[in-house]
Amino acid sequence: MSNPLPDFTILRPATIDAAITGLADHPEARLCAGGSDLIVNMRHGLVETDTLIDLTGIDALQGIDAGPHGARIGAGVRLCDLLDNAEISQAWPAIHQAAAAIAGPTHREVATVGGNLCLDTRCLYYNQSHWWRKSNDFCLKYRGDICHVAPKGNRCRAAFCGDLAPALMVCGAEVELAGPTGTRRLPLAEFYREDGADPLTLQPGEILIAVQLPPAPPASAYAKVRVRGAIDFPLAGVAVAMRRTGDARHFTLAFTGTNSSPVMVEMPGTLGPDDDPDTYFTALEKLAQKTVSPQRTTTVQPHYRRLAVSALARRLAAGMAA
Amino acid sequence: MNAPSRPRAAGVPHPLIDGIEKVTGKALYTADLDDRDCLVGRILRSPVSHGRILSIDVSKAAALKGVRAIVTGADCDHTFGVIPIAMNEYPMARRTLRYRGEPVAAVAATDAATAERALDLIELEIEELPAVHTARDARAPDAVQLHDNKPGNLEREVHHVFGDVAAGIAGADLVREETFDCAEVNHAQMEPHAALAEYDAERDRLTFHSVSQVPFYVHLTLARCLDMDASRIRVVKPFVGGGFGSRTETLNFEIITALLARAARGKVMMRLSREETFLTHRGRPQTSVKLKIGMTDKGRITAVEAEVVMAGGAYAGYGLVTILYAGALLHGLYDIANVKYDGYRVYTNLPPCGAMRGHGTVDVRHAFECLLDRMARDLGLDPFAVRRANLLSAPLFTANDLMVNSYGLDECLNKVEQASGWAARKGKLPPGRGLGMACSHYVSGAAKPVHWTGEPHAVVAMKLDFDGAITVLTGAADIGQGSSTIVALAAAEILSVDMSRIRVIANDSTITPKDNGSYSSRVTFMVGNAAIEAARALRDKLVLAAATKLEVSPEDILCQGETFSVRGARQSVLSFQEVTIAALAAEGTITVKGTFSTPKEAQGGRHRGGAVGSTMGFSYAAQVVEVTVDADTGQISVEQVWAALDCGFAINPLAVEGQIEGSVWMGMGQGLCEETRFVDGLAIHANLLDYRFPTIVESPDIHVDIVESIDPLGPFGAKEAGEGALSGFPPALVNAVADAIGLDVDFLPLTPDRVLEALIKQRRDAKRRAAK
Repeated sequence: MSNPLPDFTILRPATIDAAITGLADHPEARLCAGGSDLIVNMRHGLVETDTLIDLTGIDALQGIDAGPHGARIGAGVRLCDLLDNAEISQAWPAIHQAAAAIAGPTHREVATVGGNLCLDTRCLYYNQSHWWRKSNDFCLKYRGDICHVAPKGNRCRAAFCGDLAPALMVCGAEVELAGPTGTRRLPLAEFYREDGADPLTLQPGEILIAVQLPPAPPASAYAKVRVRGAIDFPLAGVAVAMRRTGDARHFTLAFTGTNSSPVMVEMPGTLGPDDDPDTYFTALEKLAQKTVSPQRTTTVQPHYRRLAVSALARRLAAGMAA
Repeated sequence: MNAPSRPRAAGVPHPLIDGIEKVTGKALYTADLDDRDCLVGRILRSPVSHGRILSIDVSKAAALKGVRAIVTGADCDHTFGVIPIAMNEYPMARRTLRYRGEPVAAVAATDAATAERALDLIELEIEELPAVHTARDARAPDAVQLHDNKPGNLEREVHHVFGDVAAGIAGADLVREETFDCAEVNHAQMEPHAALAEYDAERDRLTFHSVSQVPFYVHLTLARCLDMDASRIRVVKPFVGGGFGSRTETLNFEIITALLARAARGKVMMRLSREETFLTHRGRPQTSVKLKIGMTDKGRITAVEAEVVMAGGAYAGYGLVTILYAGALLHGLYDIANVKYDGYRVYTNLPPCGAMRGHGTVDVRHAFECLLDRMARDLGLDPFAVRRANLLSAPLFTANDLMVNSYGLDECLNKVEQASGWAARKGKLPPGRGLGMACSHYVSGAAKPVHWTGEPHAVVAMKLDFDGAITVLTGAADIGQGSSTIVALAAAEILSVDMSRIRVIANDSTITPKDNGSYSSRVTFMVGNAAIEAARALRDKLVLAAATKLEVSPEDILCQGETFSVRGARQSVLSFQEVTIAALAAEGTITVKGTFSTPKEAQGGRHRGGAVGSTMGFSYAAQVVEVTVDADTGQISVEQVWAALDCGFAINPLAVEGQIEGSVWMGMGQGLCEETRFVDGLAIHANLLDYRFPTIVESPDIHVDIVESIDPLGPFGAKEAGEGALSGFPPALVNAVADAIGLDVDFLPLTPDRVLEALIKQRRDAKRRAAK
């Protein structure tokens, strides 16, 4: 069996305002939707809280509104429902492919869009039992002094491992946040910071309520480096979007699993009808290799993850251009 | 003749008799048992790879409200271990800690949270010692020694020579030598470990439920470690969610649970976490195989030399048997006269290894079948042709005196060659796609068990009572492989009754006969034969009763389809119920038993360790694997598998098919992606995210063929079916990858990162060669 869960109280707000009040009353409370990430971490003794705020009863977090104008996806939308949405799969294939790549079917029945975007960063020195971490003198992310991945550095290198974020990012997503002082919107890229111990820029008391998308790019795709075709978190993942200016095509790339936050990069220059695609995509592959910074956060070596995700970036981009 | 058609049980596909409980969720596994009034057991584990215990202070933990008992190494000074001559492990470490995760102390408390808090309050003072985590480090001249009586950290070395190896090598047209490195793997059975112990303090009795494959070993070990008379212990095995060898040995947590129950004078439920289940280990050791084969230009093997080094972990466990198996099973598959084997089982500061499906043979078979393929390529021979050049012809004894009475490998080869379209497709697939093949075999039960007492290997009892129900009592542990169904089918076949008349009661030491347990694929062969003998004894009694009633001699009685009639006469038919009543009139409730003992000549050669590998018969398998390889990411997809297994006779073809698929699948896990990993001796694989067994997405279509060579000693001619097809998969995979992308791989598993690295090296080497 698993390690015992600590005791906690669960609040079940019916509105976003009630959830924000709950957070204000219990600053140490943790938000919980599907729980597929949080509960596992709680059993590992990684979460210090005596209060959970269950968001699944809030109707305002539900719903997908998608069309030619763009899309709004509620943070509480379950991944299986995101997968079933025909508009999304047709116009934003990267998002559909990323959602399909997350964990396994049973996880996707409970896991939500918001949960995947707020996924805690992961590291083989962190996602372990209490006995394991204690035997290893804990780590910088939780109760310890050093990052075992990069002992000479002064920050936690745990990797962001959400699949949805890079796909949403290349499609120009913004997030809608609600807090005690009202709501605000910011580009998804600014929702993250490159610090494994504190990867989200959410302010205290704030809740992610939705993702907003502009009209879909002409082409987008997501691919994931992993050992198995299900269950695995990304060893590395890449989303690519292609846009056109006249005959010229340009590409946006975003990566996950390689850094403490998802990383987005624009491929400089364009691919025109007279350009040699091979030269262009070789440069794109090089750019990918330079952009990502995988660390020893998983059992699979960083060098491989860098090479494989860059090869996949090239494959996706070349596939769109063809 | 118009003989009425006789319903046959053996040879007809039959769903497992305990399947309904499992698929409806009604089956109670150990962790599901009634835990009202139960204390919760938790184990404190070593934080270091190697160290001396200076002190253990449990006073603060003992003072915690809700803590009912604490035990430490001081509470048990008996070693335990599966091999009577190699018991060197304590249930909880007494002076020395030898791996991270080794049990040190345990707590029984009123709830899990209290038990967990108590573990944190136990103060452990340790002097850390240098540690060795690889066989190479452990064998270094200045390496720290793990066990005082084992210099060089060598648990066992084996040196066997059969035939004239030098002459064989000299007579070869091609000699090739390579070294293969196979990662350590774990069984990763679905059910995490659990035990429930209830100590009756008034009567000094212990009732023990556990996840064991061999409840008899658990019974013996509890008696030894608790200093209790075995008659005061009752061991029950509930439903078990997989074993694969992980539960053959008695495990430390089982003894600890019993010690806690006695200390608490009550009932303790111990449910290990997935991590703890992994740390208990007993899997297949990391193994390096240096293999040299001599071959004629026709593909005939002239000699084999193998040097095998296994990193066995911190304690002996099954180690000496594993290293002996690895050498012994070089024999028995092909006709090889000259074989030299050197094996080294080495201690390391890691969780102890043990038996795992295909015990001992898998990594050596992997090396062998890979090297055979490469030599076939060198000689311009087809891989099938090379195997066919070395077939055995049964009956015979191998060079190391293993008995082979039936041999269906040639037919297995024919089946998979045809089914896979080998001749038309091999070498003609698009780039990145390839076919590979390999053969394998496995024993049908060890002919000489490690606990040798001289008594029969298997006993099955049957009871027939006034209700006409046949109750079969067996100690054979059904761990999902279908052994209870085999016993029922054997009884139904011999008695010619409907399966619904039969109930199998298994694994309660107060009721069922002792059985040697579910390991080395022994159950179908041994328990099956014992069941047949018991059923015959029962049938004889029924036939006699029918003959008496019909006033004919027993030889004239025909027993079929739940009726008894006089041969050649149309009238005079008695129902099963009528005959039962007649038989009971004579002696009341009928109880009979059947036994099985292995013949002396099956028990192996006279050389030291010659009993290991000895068996009544081998299963044989051939398989073809088709892959595609993504050269950009190193990702391998297994597209299809064709597997044929000679199991002698399929008593339950449905279960045989399932066992073959399961073996192939488990071999695929080891071949593609499974491995244990440690950082300074700390397991980083001990969960189902990082121990990556394949998911259904990776699972290919597996085309199964059953070959029946009818073994003269097997029950209805049957041999084993649950392990033989495993060890063919990894080499068939490697051979298929070579066919797909021209890359020869010398490591397992073929994870994408390793494959890509090998590909990059291959490209670099090719560039360098081109530059010259």
